[in-house]
Amino acid sequence: MATASTYAPVGFDFSNQVRNQFLQEKGLPLPKATSTGTTIVGCLFKDGIVLGADTRATEGPIVADKNCEKIHYLTDSIRCCGAGTAADTEFTTALISSNMALHELSTGRKPRVVTAMTMLKQMLFRYQGQVGAALVLGGVDATGPHLFTIAPHGSTDKLPYVTMGSGSLAAMAVFESGWKAGMTREEALSLVTDAICAGIFNDLGSGSNVDACVITAGHTDMLRNFVRPNERVAKEQRYLFRRGTTAWKKESVRDLIVSEEVRPIGGAGAEAMDTS
Amino acid sequence: MSIMEYNGGSVIAMVGKGCVAIGSDLRLGNQALTVATNFEKVFPVTDRIYLGMSGLATDVATLREQFRFRVNMYQIKEERDIEPEAFAHLVSSTLYERRFGPYFIEPVIGGLWKTQGGEYKPYIAAADLIGCLNFAKDFVVAGTASEKLFGVAEGLWEPDLEPEDLFETISQTLMNGVDRDAYSGWGAIIHIVTPDKVVTRTLKGRMD
Amino acid sequence: MATDGGAYSYSLTVFSPSGKLVQIEHALAAVAGGTTSLGIKASNGIVIATEKKTSSILIDDSMLDKVCVICPNIGIVYSGMGPDFRVLVAKARKSAQAYWKIYGEYPPTRVLTQEIATVMQQATQSGGVRPYGVSLLVAGWDVNRGPSLYQVDPSGSYWAWKASAIGKNMVNAKTFLEKRYNDDISLEDAIHTALLTLKEGFEGQMTEKTIEIGVVTVPTPTEIDAERMAGPNDRPKPTFRKLSEEEVRDYLAL
Repeated sequence: MATASTYAPVGFDFSNQVRNQFLQEKGLPLPKATSTGTTIVGCLFKDGIVLGADTRATEGPIVADKNCEKIHYLTDSIRCCGAGTAADTEFTTALISSNMALHELSTGRKPRVVTAMTMLKQMLFRYQGQVGAALVLGGVDATGPHLFTIAPHGSTDKLPYVTMGSGSLAAMAVFESGWKAGMTREEALSLVTDAICAGIFNDLGSGSNVDACVITAGHTDMLRNFVRPNERVAKEQRYLFRRGTTAWKKESVRDLIVSEEVRPIGGAGAEAMDTS
Repeated sequence: MSIMEYNGGSVIAMVGKGCVAIGSDLRLGNQALTVATNFEKVFPVTDRIYLGMSGLATDVATLREQFRFRVNMYQIKEERDIEPEAFAHLVSSTLYERRFGPYFIEPVIGGLWKTQGGEYKPYIAAADLIGCLNFAKDFVVAGTASEKLFGVAEGLWEPDLEPEDLFETISQTLMNGVDRDAYSGWGAIIHIVTPDKVVTRTLKGRMD
Repeated sequence: MATDGGAYSYSLTVFSPSGKLVQIEHALAAVAGGTTSLGIKASNGIVIATEKKTSSILIDDSMLDKVCVICPNIGIVYSGMGPDFRVLVAKARKSAQAYWKIYGEYPPTRVLTQEIATVMQQATQSGGVRPYGVSLLVAGWDVNRGPSLYQVDPSGSYWAWKASAIGKNMVNAKTFLEKRYNDDISLEDAIHTALLTLKEGFEGQMTEKTIEIGVVTVPTPTEIDAERMAGPNDRPKPTFRKLSEEEVRDYLAL
């Protein structure tokens, strides 16, 4: 039977491929997509997981977004940080989040972190690294806290502290010197903040603010812009232009307020319409 | 030269106080040769949403029609106007569907949405060519002059501009940005979307 | 050999001379034989409820789900054939998720209902299939239309109701609801009315094990605005949920 739904998932559409290939052969290189140079980290502590991310998105040397969100929602108790091609991290996590929701509804149980990890690695492996998502996956489920990294080709690691992205070396240096087993929530959160800050200040692909997410059994705290070490100071002067500065040639106004006048036809004595 | 620079052109959107402004230059080029100076890159989506697209002109035209179709179908099926946020997601998912054979455009969305209290709030967003959304609170830019526009806007924009002040700020940003871009310019068009009207002005600019 | 439809009862896609598709009539008969389900729209929400009946006390009824969550704002209940319902639930959930992936929000109740109705209609016009042997009550909340309650039949037709009942005692239940219903009934009262209506035709004991209830609650305008301005990590609070056994027990005790 033909599919009924307008909203059926369709997968990727390759129909522009031939044209784009032709253009490329004509010497017009394919443009770059937004990437998140990124520092993302995750760290295990006594009661759960802390995830961390910077908030800079870049397009080559340009900062495209100064405060983007790189910690993605998968389920209430599972979150995933994304580095690499920004659109890929966004849509891959959205797809897995959607599948996790379906899985939760059909099993009637809280989904596990390994389930998300397996779904993600199978999808990324299928695309042979063409979907450029490097992920840090963390969460707490019935079997306890779990922390993984997933590389774009689909390989995974399970470690007590992990880093990913262009700032991963800077962040890992902080973890290697500061991490210890059985940390408290405060200790872990401060270590993650330090690791992200190391990325923000030493890696050009990372910048702006620190996002953090603390996941414990039964509770998730999303700490958006937990630390803002790069607040812009108020401008000392205003650069307002006097109204009328810009020369324009033509103006048209589209009025969105619809006013209508109701003019009754016929007097009060007019015969009422027969509506029987 | 990249495909994104083939026809030239730039788009910008800015948030004001209860209003948004969105505009583009008017140039259509064939590499360094200018072939038209009336090529608008910003299109109405609903009464209070505008979509701007910079990049390969053929894809701008194709996607304009495709989004018009999708929004009309949405309106008929759901018996309501699409909201800026839902439209931004529609644009994003449409572009990502072609992840491995993309349209060469970068969209910019500007619109107003109505709160439960009946007040209108501004919304802007931009995306890259494969649909990665960027929800900014101040301004978004795209196109061959995007680097310049980023710089000028960063200096000129300030929060809570009234519609008329926002018009001056966005116009000056756009005009001064594209003046340093060989592939954009030849006049510009700005739409200022307010709760009760949309004012569209064609700007006078350098014709070189 | 079918006795009433004669030659026309075999092929689903062939009309009988009287203008009926006899297989659809049979599907409606299957629905009318199913356990009673009902839905009531209140001023501040909706309740959908059903009786959960098992053929033997040996069946572990904790595994049975008759009121199902489709997406955070929509739930459905059925009367008729359980297996057919399961298939429709899976399709509806997939459709809701596909909608979410396009628009970044879950479908309005009417759109989701239309999707289900389209699936059910296609089964009345395609070769080699039979119609779905279920009627559904779809309850949901969305920002445009608020709370809404729809009924979908095997033919694929759907209507919006203030209150409706499907299944075995639907005629009696509807009469009962017509007497009890008023426009400004509260959700709490609606839940009690739902239980009273089910009680009318109930065989055996009404307990938290034999009753399933789902409710739609309406968020405040402040909550709606706050959720729309929240980031992608703060998911909106579900507006549809199933009542737990404890909650059902408390309502039954009153």
